[in-house]
Amino acid sequence: MSQEDKPFFVGYLDIPGPLRRFLLLACLAVVGIFVATGLLIGSTQDEPPASGFRFDYGRQTVTGVIELTPYPLLRVTQGNDLIKPGKTLMLSGQGKSGVDAQAMGLEGQLAEVSGIILQRGTIDMMQLAGGRRGLKMVEGDAPEMETEPLGRWKVAGEICDGKCLNGAMRPGRGLAHKACAALCLVGDVPPVFVSTQPIEGSDFMLITGPDGTTLPKAAYEHIGQFVSAEGDLERRGDLLVLKIDAETIEVIDG
Amino acid sequence: MSVKYIPVQWNRNKWFYDFVMLAGVVAFLVLFLFVSPGLLSHEFPINPQVHNARAFGACAFVMLTVILCIGPLARIDPRFLPLLYNRRHFGVMTTFVAITHASYILNWYFAFSKSDKFSALLFANTSYTQLAGFPFEAFGIFALICLLILAATSHDFWMKFLTPPVWKRLHALIYFAYAAVVAHVSLGIMQDQQNHVFTVIFIGGALAVAGLHAYAAWLDLRGGDEAGTVSEGWIEVCSPADIKNGFAKIKLLPNGERVAVFNQEGKLSAISNACAHQNGPLGEGKVVFCLVTCPWHGFQYDVTNGRSPAPFTEMVPTYNLRLVDGTIQVDPEANPPGTYVEPVPIPGWKEVPA
Repeated sequence: MSQEDKPFFVGYLDIPGPLRRFLLLACLAVVGIFVATGLLIGSTQDEPPASGFRFDYGRQTVTGVIELTPYPLLRVTQGNDLIKPGKTLMLSGQGKSGVDAQAMGLEGQLAEVSGIILQRGTIDMMQLAGGRRGLKMVEGDAPEMETEPLGRWKVAGEICDGKCLNGAMRPGRGLAHKACAALCLVGDVPPVFVSTQPIEGSDFMLITGPDGTTLPKAAYEHIGQFVSAEGDLERRGDLLVLKIDAETIEVIDG
Repeated sequence: MSVKYIPVQWNRNKWFYDFVMLAGVVAFLVLFLFVSPGLLSHEFPINPQVHNARAFGACAFVMLTVILCIGPLARIDPRFLPLLYNRRHFGVMTTFVAITHASYILNWYFAFSKSDKFSALLFANTSYTQLAGFPFEAFGIFALICLLILAATSHDFWMKFLTPPVWKRLHALIYFAYAAVVAHVSLGIMQDQQNHVFTVIFIGGALAVAGLHAYAAWLDLRGGDEAGTVSEGWIEVCSPADIKNGFAKIKLLPNGERVAVFNQEGKLSAISNACAHQNGPLGEGKVVFCLVTCPWHGFQYDVTNGRSPAPFTEMVPTYNLRLVDGTIQVDPEANPPGTYVEPVPIPGWKEVPA
């Protein structure tokens, strides 16, 4: 086609006849790209693990002994149909916050907790209701709770925040979720280590710093990464607690 | 073309352009937001906020990819030029889609804490020395800032205020924004994906942008505008017979500027090749209604004086011409914009019937 025969488009004039068919096809192609990509990307997202708030269980109220690891735990002594005695519940507040302030001074005391369960397989947590409805001391003598030392362990897996991992966010782990998890941990939501291999029958454990401290800030750098770490492991009821040494954390390639 | 600034100079083609692009975006979002959950049928579905954020984020990426493909496509085949005509509207649309993506992220992942969500966005992850776990949100923030700057300065007022060369350089930020989006996605969601359909689409889109630009650049290098030969201080262009009536021959001048020599009804005139509007290639346009018409946005000029017809005020520089031994020569020193130059008649010219 010679230069003068080529259709010349001027935006404020009618589209030249020979160009109309081409532009119609171009328009269909553009819309087609959006239709195809919207459908393909939208319908091929990974399925999040079965996890989340169990509002279908209703609000749960149980009694037990508060332990500060320093992240507050409830060793259940008087349960209900869903939460049996012997269970150890990790506790969180509303949003990205823990319940350290509410639990302060209650170590070793009997307390009643009330809230909504978050569950992912065998791991669960209770998000406490606000105010005194969520956590209150109850009369009575608290029984002595046993903590079983399991020795020193080297584990491989991922550091997460326990709440998002349990389905508060779906998806709630991985590198794309790192900032959210860090924000949860800054807010004292209990941190969790997800192990690649079951350890003492469990593939997750609450993690703390050594000697009753919170998770070292150095560990925050490695949230969502595939890492190995060493620490002292103990069992509190049905929950494993790993007192992690931050200097032993190593990124594992692949 | 306009004698005063108005928000949008609508015409039928602009309405149609926006309708088509909006139809594409709406189709993407409807399919992603409302159809795909049914197809996924997850027992524990992705949080709606995350799903929405992904829909708008992916849509913004596809929009940016389409936008960046239009430029090289129009250079490879001028029939794509109409897609360039109203691209700015599509760019502004992209900014709004990107803002929606950012809002969902901010109000979900960075909300519900005791910290201000904007502060949390900046401090929650500061692992800037790591590749895995790098705060990819920073790339998203940078891209969004670029898009906001581009959208805010997209109007012709800013082009005139900043001058077209500065405006064009500023709007080259779109390439930095796209690179940042690629990094944002690569270090973010792609790190955790098990299904790789999005990965394939994402890499395909990015490669299409890079490949089309490389191909268009190669075509420019291979068949680009030639530099004119210097003869006694004048630049040789071509024989008059080489320029068809209503069209131009473009030559590269020693100072890097381009001149477009037009044949209008057997008379030769030369003007700058750069349109006063967006520096579009006037020499690739043609004479329409006795006026040189830019192929990008239809800005028009009288080829004898480089002035837009009244009441419009745009002007481009003109050049002096002469014919020596049957060869057109142009004076490389441009006249001030709007300077009348007597056209040079082509001896014995008569129009060849089509």
